[in-house]
Amino acid sequence: MNDRIDFGPDDDMPPMSDAEFDAWLTRVAPKLNAPSATPRGEMWKVIETAARTSSDAQAGRIPGVTPIRRHWRLLSLIAAALLIGVGVDRMALRREREQRVAATPAATVPARADSADPSGLYRLAAAQTFTQAEALLVAYRASDAPGRDPQDLRQLGSWGRQVLSSTRLLLDSPAGRDPQLRALLDDLELVLVQIIRHSGAPLDTTDRALIDRALQDSRLLPRIRTAVPSPIPADASSD
Amino acid sequence: MVTDDTVPSAPMATPANRADQRALIERVRRGDSSAHRALYEAHVDRVYRLCYRLTGTEHLARELTQDTFVRAFGAIEGFRGDSAIETWLHSIAVSVSLNELRRRKREHARNAPLEEALMIPKASPRSDPVMREKLMAAVNELPEGCRTVFMMHDAEGFTHQEIAASLGVTEGTSKAQLNRARGKLRVALAEYAEEWKS
Repeated sequence: MNDRIDFGPDDDMPPMSDAEFDAWLTRVAPKLNAPSATPRGEMWKVIETAARTSSDAQAGRIPGVTPIRRHWRLLSLIAAALLIGVGVDRMALRREREQRVAATPAATVPARADSADPSGLYRLAAAQTFTQAEALLVAYRASDAPGRDPQDLRQLGSWGRQVLSSTRLLLDSPAGRDPQLRALLDDLELVLVQIIRHSGAPLDTTDRALIDRALQDSRLLPRIRTAVPSPIPADASSD
Repeated sequence: MVTDDTVPSAPMATPANRADQRALIERVRRGDSSAHRALYEAHVDRVYRLCYRLTGTEHLARELTQDTFVRAFGAIEGFRGDSAIETWLHSIAVSVSLNELRRRKREHARNAPLEEALMIPKASPRSDPVMREKLMAAVNELPEGCRTVFMMHDAEGFTHQEIAASLGVTEGTSKAQLNRARGKLRVALAEYAEEWKS
């Protein structure tokens, strides 16, 4: 874990210690950011709900949410490995083609993004999923408007299931090792499961408040917007 | 936030309660909900206090404590028992707290209004609470690792052994970072030397 903590540069060592100052510090430091009483019960309720939602989703106890079981995880890993293999192969082919083109003086090669880079492909897939997720969450917020057709909510659920599948594939891909991206995908998965869970019928105020709280606490929309820095080119996924 | 409080002592890890902990973790792995609650009850105070010390707000400390336990329950299959369960929980708590602080720092850097910088009082402090506010401001300026070690050791009473295990560093690094933190704080508070020497 030490590689994730910034200890600052080593070349700014301060002078030798001072017993008088250290004694004062030892007396005063326990009063810095001194905690209030632990709100055990309130925190436990939230933890229990979050843990239950997650395990229900994994066990397939939430209608409409298909859990990714062990063999599906394996298949998704194989699919990711194949994707990387194809990517590497295409990269090698492209290099070969570029070398051939370079050897022909009159030829011109149009500049384009290298979509065969495995991490690049993963980021592209993540960006597409986040774009979908952002649109879905905005639609979910809008579904609060009075007089909305219940059919809209069902469509929201079906749309949510598609985004959830993509999210889980990204979570299971070996290319997705970025801890920040994983944390974002984890939070997105949790909110999607909650939305899908309640998509069969109009939400009561408690259900909606829970989902809204999860959205607010995890700052999902701003984080998703940060994770999608620029529009995805229309031809980025085609060769 | 600065208030008066005392530092609780760390729970002693005896072979008997180590065995109890192992049995409890086994029950958590099997999905026993009462075991989840028992594990939570056994460790929540120290996790909450640690998150509070590192973040300084009750709201954040709550969120991060909840996050720590949700992540821990979700990843309990991966806990191999190489370290004590409390060390594992503390390392998750430190990790989620530092990530959140980094995120907030980035956000703050983008949004901090100029008035905030101009509001820093320049007058010499004459009372202990004001001096503590000065100290807290200086602590917040320390490098992340240095600050974490200082808050864990001097504020919350963790031993160097516990800090080293939670941060994944050696005890020597923990001690060096504490000395460095104290030295930097002394330099930062040098103009108020008469306050802390009195």
